[in-house]
Amino acid sequence: MSENLGLATPRNPPVRLTRDMVNNGFKLRVNELSGQNTDACYQCGNCSSGCPLAQEMDILPNRIIRLVQLGQREDIIQSETLWICASCFQCTVRCPKGIDIQAVMDALRQIALEEGVDHFGPDQIDPEQAAEVPQPGLVGVYRKLST
Amino acid sequence: MAKVAYYPGCALNERSSHLDRSARDATVKLGFELDELDTWTCCGAVPPVSKERVMNLIAPSRILKDVRDSGRNVLITICDFCYNTLKRTNYSIISDEIIRKRVNAFLADDTPERDYLEKDDSIWEDYTGEVRVIHLMEYLRDELGYDKITENLKRPLKGLKIAPYYGCVMLRPQNEIQLDDPENPSIIEDFITALDAQSVKYPFRTECCGSYLSISSPDASTRLCYRILTSARNNGADAIVVSCPLCFYNLDSRQKAITEAYSDFKPVPIFYFTQLLSLALGVEYGRQGFEKHYVDVTPVLDKIGISTGKGGEE
Repeated sequence: MSENLGLATPRNPPVRLTRDMVNNGFKLRVNELSGQNTDACYQCGNCSSGCPLAQEMDILPNRIIRLVQLGQREDIIQSETLWICASCFQCTVRCPKGIDIQAVMDALRQIALEEGVDHFGPDQIDPEQAAEVPQPGLVGVYRKLST
Repeated sequence: MAKVAYYPGCALNERSSHLDRSARDATVKLGFELDELDTWTCCGAVPPVSKERVMNLIAPSRILKDVRDSGRNVLITICDFCYNTLKRTNYSIISDEIIRKRVNAFLADDTPERDYLEKDDSIWEDYTGEVRVIHLMEYLRDELGYDKITENLKRPLKGLKIAPYYGCVMLRPQNEIQLDDPENPSIIEDFITALDAQSVKYPFRTECCGSYLSISSPDASTRLCYRILTSARNNGADAIVVSCPLCFYNLDSRQKAITEAYSDFKPVPIFYFTQLLSLALGVEYGRQGFEKHYVDVTPVLDKIGISTGKGGEE
């Protein structure tokens, strides 16, 4: 295991808002793909406090939602958070505004993958592990983290 | 003997075939048989990431349609991933008319291409979500009744303290799955009680084990599993019971990495729920595939007098 204890350096990207940026259609695309209304989020932070992987993320889930609202496409698709989220639905269950945050994460992953870069390809897997891990893990990881 | 349609899924068909065997053994003891579908494919393991990816719904829909076409309306799975994927696919087909039409349009085109099937001249009928996808544990609870298990116990697991582990996709998202309360479930606890064992309360039972991150970010999964296993152990558990082959793999095999990373870690044996069930119903010890486990389960079973060659009806 690496020396890193799992505490990712938090990133709070400076946000300089312009009208073009906020209205660039990114939020609409996320809402369309996920079927969610991200504007419902009022930043209570329940998703981040319940997230079992929050300590591994550079941008916390509630902040991801805020950045979506503000159209901050670049910051989001370069974030490690998308690839650390394990789609466990804890955030979805706990959101008091009924946003399926996991679906938003999936939509963001899809947008990032549309850039053409697979986050995790077959060449990156440890062959020893590939020979013994149950297949849902293999299928799941390729479906979620590569195109 | 009553037969219920059964979808094993890829893991239980091959790499975790011992878990599949224990499920079949146990259900026969309870008076019904898991009847594997004649033809089936992988369900896709995870539901599609967005509504645009209708293609990913085809495989699970085809499986469900085949069940419907064979005249049955209940499908049992014992893998949480298959359960989640099939059940959510069914939900999409029932609740979204556009998805229903697109999936059926594809299936209608695709069916004649499946030349390995017997020629079928019956009139095409759209699949509209008629099949109920249920987890074996749900079947035991709702259709059979946990009392029936208790009545048939040959080797009650009295004295064993077992921590239930739900993981993520068995209960969530709750509006589509509706198996139990997502925050305070009791289905596995009641199952443990039905086997005459004692269930252990601990805070991490519904917390994710890392799922497929075990492959892409193994260290993250190691840290999560350490938290879950240590918490169960500190609350007095002798073992953990799971219902998903991937949780099983993560919690069991990952203990090697955990032992290397944390000096204070003490291994915890992991059981699949079907193994405990078939053991308690008197199936031979040797049919459980315990030799495939990374963490040795024999000390725990010795504690209550079940071991190779002794205890129970061999």
